[in-house]
Amino acid sequence: FRFKDSLAADLQSADLVISHAGAGSCLETLEKGKPLIVVINDKLMDNHQLELAKQLHRDGYVLYCNCSTLVETLQSMDLSALKPFPPGQPEKFASFLDKVFGLQ
Amino acid sequence: PFSLLVVAGSGGHTTEILRLLSCLSESYSPRHYVLADSDKMSEAKIRSFEQKRAETFSESQFSLDRIPRSREVRQSWISSVLTTLHSILYSLPLTYKRKPDLILCNGPGTCVPVCLSAFLLGLLRIKRTIIVYVESICRVETLSLSGKILYYFSDYFIVQWPDLKKKYPKSVYLGRIV
Repeated sequence: FRFKDSLAADLQSADLVISHAGAGSCLETLEKGKPLIVVINDKLMDNHQLELAKQLHRDGYVLYCNCSTLVETLQSMDLSALKPFPPGQPEKFASFLDKVFGLQ
Repeated sequence: PFSLLVVAGSGGHTTEILRLLSCLSESYSPRHYVLADSDKMSEAKIRSFEQKRAETFSESQFSLDRIPRSREVRQSWISSVLTTLHSILYSLPLTYKRKPDLILCNGPGTCVPVCLSAFLLGLLRIKRTIIVYVESICRVETLSLSGKILYYFSDYFIVQWPDLKKKYPKSVYLGRIV
């Protein structure tokens, strides 16, 4: 698995994803509509990875736990409570730039 | 058409910035990408993006340049200032050569010397470039170090979460755009 170019195929066939809190991993998984449990590693974690994981959890998109509580989380999880993740809107950015450059 | 200089940081930064570019019209051409010399994976992502784009748009010009990396993750403050100054020696001639109408960046250390170069060229009345900084989606409550610096040097500073808009009132909030 080391540095495969893309995990897209693996993600597509999974029923549940357990991942670290990297933004790319989280977003790619959520966009494929897969239930996600984010595991925070308190020792390695960059503060900012935690920000996104916490927010996604607050908004109800992911479950989250740390290494020691993973088993417990897996046993008691309710995946149906997770909300579907709406996609980002790059068209809003394009529109914004168009206004800046007087193209709209 | 407006020429664009895109600063592609490693990994997730490049993926995010390519998403930002995904809806831009043909008016934003050519696209000059700037990468850190140690970045292996971004070039492939960029080429793939541009190749797909060329299928839709006839006018698809782009270039790729590399500059020395300004800062390693968690590098100390003092040495970061020195390595950033070193990077400016490369980014300044590059920015001067490309004279972009717009610079787009989203947070990697590489963007600081590039934006400072453009800012300097603006002060010297050589080229007025619009600097647009989009803070990464990972940043919900706090700004990255690049963000904290470029908040003062950018023309438009875009954040993707409402908490940041509250803390940095001069920023622009468009919601999640990647």
